Amino acid sequence: MEQQAIHNYLVNFFTLNKCEIKENESGKLTVTLNEDLDRLLMNRPFYWEYIKKIGQEGTPATLTFLSSPDRREEKGEWIHFGSPRLHQIFQSQLQQGRFTMQYEQTNRSSLQPWLVSNIRISYKGRQKKDEILSIGLQLINGTMVFNFMELIQDLSFSSVIPDYCYTISPIIRITSGYKRIENYIQQYIDSQKHEWAEDAFNHFNKEKEILNHFYESYLAASDEEDKEELTTRYQNELDHLQKRLMPEIQVETINGGLFYLSEETKNQVIKGLH
Amino acid sequence: MKINYQFDQQFINEFNHRLNENGPFASFEMFQMAYDTAKNLHVPDFEGLQSPQHLPQMEFLEHQLDTAKQVVEKMNGRAILADEVGLGKTIEAGLILKEYMIRGLAKKILILVPASLVNQWVKELNEKFYIPAVSQRKLYVWEQCDVVVSSIDTAKRSPHREIVLDQHYDFLIIDEAHKLKNHKTKNYQFVNSLKKTYCLLLTATPVQNQLSDIFNLVTILKPGFLGSYEEFTKTFGNKRTALKEDEKLKQLIQDVMVRNRREDTGIEWTKRNVETVWINFSDEEQKVYDQLDHELFSQDPFTSITLKREFCSSREALYLSLKKMFEEKAEKYKDEEWNQEIIQKIEQLPHHSKAQKVVDIIQDSTEKFIIFTEYRATQYYLQWYLQQHGISSVPFRGGFKRSKKEWMTQLFQNHAQVLVATEAGGEGINLQFCHNMIHYDLPWNPMRLEQRIGRVHRFGQKENVNIYYLAIKNTIDEHLVSLLYEKINLFERVIGDLDIILQQLNIPSLENEIKEIYAESETPGEARIKLENLTAAFQDAAQDEVDQDGTTSHS
Repeated sequence: MEQQAIHNYLVNFFTLNKCEIKENESGKLTVTLNEDLDRLLMNRPFYWEYIKKIGQEGTPATLTFLSSPDRREEKGEWIHFGSPRLHQIFQSQLQQGRFTMQYEQTNRSSLQPWLVSNIRISYKGRQKKDEILSIGLQLINGTMVFNFMELIQDLSFSSVIPDYCYTISPIIRITSGYKRIENYIQQYIDSQKHEWAEDAFNHFNKEKEILNHFYESYLAASDEEDKEELTTRYQNELDHLQKRLMPEIQVETINGGLFYLSEETKNQVIKGLH
Repeated sequence: MKINYQFDQQFINEFNHRLNENGPFASFEMFQMAYDTAKNLHVPDFEGLQSPQHLPQMEFLEHQLDTAKQVVEKMNGRAILADEVGLGKTIEAGLILKEYMIRGLAKKILILVPASLVNQWVKELNEKFYIPAVSQRKLYVWEQCDVVVSSIDTAKRSPHREIVLDQHYDFLIIDEAHKLKNHKTKNYQFVNSLKKTYCLLLTATPVQNQLSDIFNLVTILKPGFLGSYEEFTKTFGNKRTALKEDEKLKQLIQDVMVRNRREDTGIEWTKRNVETVWINFSDEEQKVYDQLDHELFSQDPFTSITLKREFCSSREALYLSLKKMFEEKAEKYKDEEWNQEIIQKIEQLPHHSKAQKVVDIIQDSTEKFIIFTEYRATQYYLQWYLQQHGISSVPFRGGFKRSKKEWMTQLFQNHAQVLVATEAGGEGINLQFCHNMIHYDLPWNPMRLEQRIGRVHRFGQKENVNIYYLAIKNTIDEHLVSLLYEKINLFERVIGDLDIILQQLNIPSLENEIKEIYAESETPGEARIKLENLTAAFQDAAQDEVDQDGTTSHS
């Protein structure tokens, strides 16, 4: 993530969290937190406990973030992609933005329900990589659209239904919709060649053989009591080996929600497929 | 082939629940930003290191990055890091650990290090790597904290032991792992019973005494990789030279061990020019010195040695110590005329011969100098004496607050010619702009000497480093310099192998060893012979080290 992108990200984050931005120059951002964010970022629970006990409001901290390397010497906090502070904010953002329900802002239209699920697939072999998919599933006829977030990013939404609009009830239930997405992901994974997994599995087998040989030679030479201990140790080692080299795919939903979209938008996002 | 597969079910349960309760729901912007956040954090490739991007304030060296890559990509996260001392094993371990954490492969982490290094590890991981490591101080830490640094001795003792053995650690690091070379020890068995996925063993001496050392280390990482013990000894014997000579063994070891040597790092190490400067006491000074053998001290040889060392530094250091002694033990000394007499003599002495020499050296040059002394009194005296000769200086002590250290460093860099320091103290204080160093008096602890030199002679030093070593003839200085320091090349030696040699000779503290030799010797001659014996033993061990390693450690 570039320094400029981090600056913009922070501006968005604090604006969305309704914090007062006192200074927003290139490479420098000063912001007064609100109570929630102060509790999250400043790590001073005793202050808040005390202030509440004496019946006062409390004063949230004001922070200055420096993102331009030219300004590093100024007073404030140097922020970059590895900053623990930024990662606190990332985690908070992931938590806060996990579930949603939105209506498209439009005129006189029927609104159709879509289940949106943003998914991270993690492939873990000798190393690990991630892939992110954004999937929208129309809950009337089951149409599935990919890159969904990118396709709807410029539309405006609201949490209340706009005037002169009405919603169509889902035909596919949310849970079965999610199941369809799961099935799709399964197919998607099955359709790939997983050389990384074969590679990891070969390594696993090779190391397992070595391990077997090692313990067999000791087992053969040991008495009953030692045998038990050796067997436990062997099981442990095998378990460690599995954790380290057995290929694994984890699918996790980053966030998701129910979206009501107009007929017109539906046609556009479906075209976005092609 | 089977791929374990898991699909997140938690999400949909929680989502259904929220739909029933009508919320709470995030705004579209919040939702979108969470998605963008996940995109920023995801790692799309198996290969390559992510960690350097997260640590823009660090400058990693080529061999450190290569090592990290090799361990992550080729060794699947289990390796012995066996770089020569000073090449940054800790940095490599930090990089690798960070990589596994970023990729979400390591969460629960245990780092076992010698007790004296616990705090340093905690500090480095937090400050250099933003890894929230904590030292194990309370029992609950084992379970509640994700990244714990502890000594093996603590971890292996009840009640810690039971808790630690019960955890599964995603990542285990063991520093100074050569201490685990013997598979019969409690430490070894304890470490071997830990549940771990990824594991790094750090040591500068993978083979210390015999070849089985390496067998035992590898067995912690990959049991059976070198066969069973019988097979191993049958194939390779038990001579430690095999690690260097046996091609097959070398090949095998390469798959589990990374060892960088100074000369293959490609870094140009500047030279150390060492000069011992001999000084004669003036007659008056020599008289005072000789008097320190006074019969009053004969029951307590340590006192006499301490006083002599002080006098070799400055009369101020000696004066303060004597005064304190006479005051504290007023009873013992009150009837003696000698104590008045010697105090008077000290007071009448002119400048110290060493101080004059320092002025000569500095006045010959326009460059900056760092002077190290063991004594605070000498530090004050030197600053005053330099000032008398129009030489500007700033003081430096380990006890200064960080901000004051930085301020003094800056003053030194921009305004003063000399920095007079009592301690090497000050991790991260950058003194590389200076390349002349005067050791005003002799530290008897060689580790301290190396730390002093290390402040200046390190990565980034562009000039050859000049090291002056001041010693006074016919004093306790002389024995040390001519025997210990010159014969074993203490100045040029790297601290790490010194450490190893001392371990092999079973000498925990060289300083105490020397003190004892002086204290227990009846005559100077006896002391000299004993020191010579020590030196010889040292040279043997050092020679051995060089043979085994195939590398000399003289930089």
